[in-house]
Amino acid sequence: MNNMEELIVGLKEQIIDALNLEEITPEDIDNEAPLFGEGLGLDSIDALELIVILDKFYGIKLANPAEGKAIFKNINTIADYIAKNRTK
Amino acid sequence: MAARISVTGMGVICAIGNNLPSVLDSLRNGRSGIRPMKYLQSRHSELPVGEVQMSNEQMKQLLGISDPAPVSRTSLMGAIAIREALAQAAVGSLSGKRVALISGTTVGGMDVTELYFEQMKSDDSLLYLPQSNDCGKSTDEMARMAGLEGARTCTISTACSSALNSIILGAEMLARDEVDIVIAGGSEALSRFHLNGFNTLMILDHEPCRPFDATRAGLNLGEGAGFLVLEKDAGERSLAYVAGYGNRCDAFHQTASSENGEGAFLAMSDALAMAALQPEDIQYVNAHGTGTPNNDPSESQALKRLFGEKLPEISSTKGFTGHTTSASGSIEAIFCILAMRDGFIPANLGFSTADPGCILPSKGRGEACLENVICNAFGFGGNDSSLILSSREPRERETGAQYEVETAADLCISDPEALKDLKEFNISPMESRRMGKLMKASQLSALKALQAAGVDCPDAIITATAHGMLETSLQFLEEIEANGEEHLKPTLFMQSTHNTLSSAIAIRKRCHGYNITYSHGERSMEWAMLDASRLIATGKAQSVLVGHYDESTPLFDMFASRAGKAAPKPLYARSVVLKRK
Repeated sequence: MNNMEELIVGLKEQIIDALNLEEITPEDIDNEAPLFGEGLGLDSIDALELIVILDKFYGIKLANPAEGKAIFKNINTIADYIAKNRTK
Repeated sequence: MAARISVTGMGVICAIGNNLPSVLDSLRNGRSGIRPMKYLQSRHSELPVGEVQMSNEQMKQLLGISDPAPVSRTSLMGAIAIREALAQAAVGSLSGKRVALISGTTVGGMDVTELYFEQMKSDDSLLYLPQSNDCGKSTDEMARMAGLEGARTCTISTACSSALNSIILGAEMLARDEVDIVIAGGSEALSRFHLNGFNTLMILDHEPCRPFDATRAGLNLGEGAGFLVLEKDAGERSLAYVAGYGNRCDAFHQTASSENGEGAFLAMSDALAMAALQPEDIQYVNAHGTGTPNNDPSESQALKRLFGEKLPEISSTKGFTGHTTSASGSIEAIFCILAMRDGFIPANLGFSTADPGCILPSKGRGEACLENVICNAFGFGGNDSSLILSSREPRERETGAQYEVETAADLCISDPEALKDLKEFNISPMESRRMGKLMKASQLSALKALQAAGVDCPDAIITATAHGMLETSLQFLEEIEANGEEHLKPTLFMQSTHNTLSSAIAIRKRCHGYNITYSHGERSMEWAMLDASRLIATGKAQSVLVGHYDESTPLFDMFASRAGKAAPKPLYARSVVLKRK
């Protein structure tokens, strides 16, 4: 597994845990599928939980929840953002 | 039966003053009370707040309390405001009179609970704290400190509309001749708990708030208490009249308002209809206007729907006090009466740039003739209430025909095993994943009771709970301790307000009717049933869902056993459907 693949597996586990996605496994989440609306169907509270994940595990602070919109499109966009901006 | 309800006394303490004269002076002179944090002990001292400029010790001194034991700031501020209100009303001796104290709060004694949370787990001398700091006990404590020992006490917890709903209940009780004098309002102290909670929702501005402004970025939390003395047919002693009110549910989302402001629109419309007024009869609206990106356009939409092109002057006073949450309804109702009596319009502090999606707020005016004003207070879960205060005597209100009440369903869920039945009601795992045990039990019990009664959407939803979502609240409190106020979960906070159970049912069934939560310890259900019967008897509702929902946790059981009390029930979700006979 390369670094990016590792990051993605870890990220999916963090998301499943934080969002209580009890019946979903990392393999069930398609890296390109939209997380909000269609696809997984997450909502605005989930977006706030994702912001906590960025801060807690990767040392990335988002000041404005609106910034999350582009970052949280799918697993790949989050992983890319983390890879570029992580401080831990 | 007919009655006119008067306000005969007021008492207030908030960031812009510790009593009526100082508050009036600040309001008239545009002096904001939003400052750097001074009294609250939080790691987030970067957040500006609207604190009452007194320490707990100074408040105790003012009240003549010499006992050094820690007391909640919620109770202290409440007692100070109640005493001022009673003095102004000059009601004289209360002996022989039927008196009720109705207070709205959500945080209750959380400010002391969180300070001593770790110590409580081992120190028996602090065991009185978990027993005495729920919402209901904080009201009882206020009554004691304000010399109202003989009063019936009641606590309403509908998040940020709590205090306005207290006034509404008080007016209903007076109109039905259930009491002679009501002291109604609310009190809420700043706590790390709700500061961090609002912070997880990312709706706190790091600068002074700017309601209705294009650059608004959230609210500033405030604290305070406001109480009004209400009496029937008070004649010359009347400071203002309670002319109309509405309590409705937005039934949209736990922490967001709908785009078209449905709940707010319905609440204001009900208030106007009850007061028999037309939109053009209103000269001023004290808006809820929190300054969050979501509230202000939603409320603006509701105002535009109600008033059309001819909007009255509108301002939010949150730029003075910050958002005093559960106390905001009564504090701002007092601002409205001060504005009516002194003839001015309070400024909308912080506003400079118009937002096309929002109303254009008033800059404030030193002279104004106000006869009828609206005061709005909206809470999480879409608990939206609106009050109309008038300087002129309103028409005498008929208190309605008497209808009889019958019980159409009554059932209880206490076995966690039963919760798997939620699937029968098409609640998907994606939906239930965030629900705590009590949320699941309340939903299941409510849905089953409605089904048994053959009611789809009841006219009113009334909930009783002593502690609300205790498990989630304690988890949030533990996280604050463990993580040092960082990386907290919004999911936990959004379920920690007591009204979350009632509004979740309304959201599921899309019920926009009356929606309220009583949180007064063991007497919560008694108050809820009284309200439900009153709504049916007066013809305001034909069907009412009444729920009594509480749970316990191992930590809470441990507190109870050390205090020598019986362990609370681990899970209890009773739902009753009442109907007009």
